[in-house]
Amino acid sequence: MNALATVLAAVGEGRIQGGWEYVKAAYAICWTGLSLYAVSLWVRRPREDRK
Amino acid sequence: MDVRMKRGLETAAVLAVACIFAYAAWVGLVLAPPDREMGDVQRIMYAHVPMVQMMLLAGTITFVCSVLYLFRASWKTDALAEASAELALVFGAIGTTLGAIWGRPTWGVYWAWDPRLTTVAILLVALAGYLALRRFVDDPERRAVWAAVTGIVIAVDVPIIYFSVKWWKSLHQVQSNPSTVDPQMVHALRWNIAAFFLVFIVFLVARYRIALAARVREVTVPEAGPRAREAVAS
Repeated sequence: MNALATVLAAVGEGRIQGGWEYVKAAYAICWTGLSLYAVSLWVRRPREDRK
Repeated sequence: MDVRMKRGLETAAVLAVACIFAYAAWVGLVLAPPDREMGDVQRIMYAHVPMVQMMLLAGTITFVCSVLYLFRASWKTDALAEASAELALVFGAIGTTLGAIWGRPTWGVYWAWDPRLTTVAILLVALAGYLALRRFVDDPERRAVWAAVTGIVIAVDVPIIYFSVKWWKSLHQVQSNPSTVDPQMVHALRWNIAAFFLVFIVFLVARYRIALAARVREVTVPEAGPRAREAVAS
């Protein structure tokens, strides 16, 4: 029972407050990464597509 | 269809995908409700889950193309295998980074050597090795065969990644998909999966063209072997 109480105490309860900084960082990395990859595809496009 | 019309249609398709992507992001960031326990942090799911799903899809395409190449050599399947492997690495690396950011406020750590995370890390390292192998081998035919065999070996990790959360019941939660998330979040998740899938298709087509054009250039030079020149037509 003590072990269970320890685990439950560690889990805690309630809702995570705030956290928008994590959301913003995640979406910024996602959009920047995909945009950079799109640019790399544009730069590497075949010669015949450049005409 | 003339070239100008084809380019116009392609541009319109890319713009349509960009609009759908922007709408899906708005749905995930604004319209969807916050999670009961994770609050707004859970909104990372709408980017993380589709990215990792696209990684698994790309890994599966690499596997199928690698098998097809060994049965019937074609530069088209070789080019598609190369394109999908690169996309698996890009989507997987970004998706894993998003997962790490999501893990910090919910698990307390950015990274844990949990079976799901470990198998994904193995796949990313293997994909980087696969792409490096393609650069180190000059002979296109030998490179394609070696890459096909490597692609098949690497793809063994794909089902392990998918089922790892069921087999080992580890720190990572079970797959988030429309059948496992709250009904209020299904709409946002479906839109984001569709949007990322469309982006994936656009990238795959663009990368496939690059790979195929490179292969055609390689095998049509005079020093290319006769088998290579014959295969370019297939």
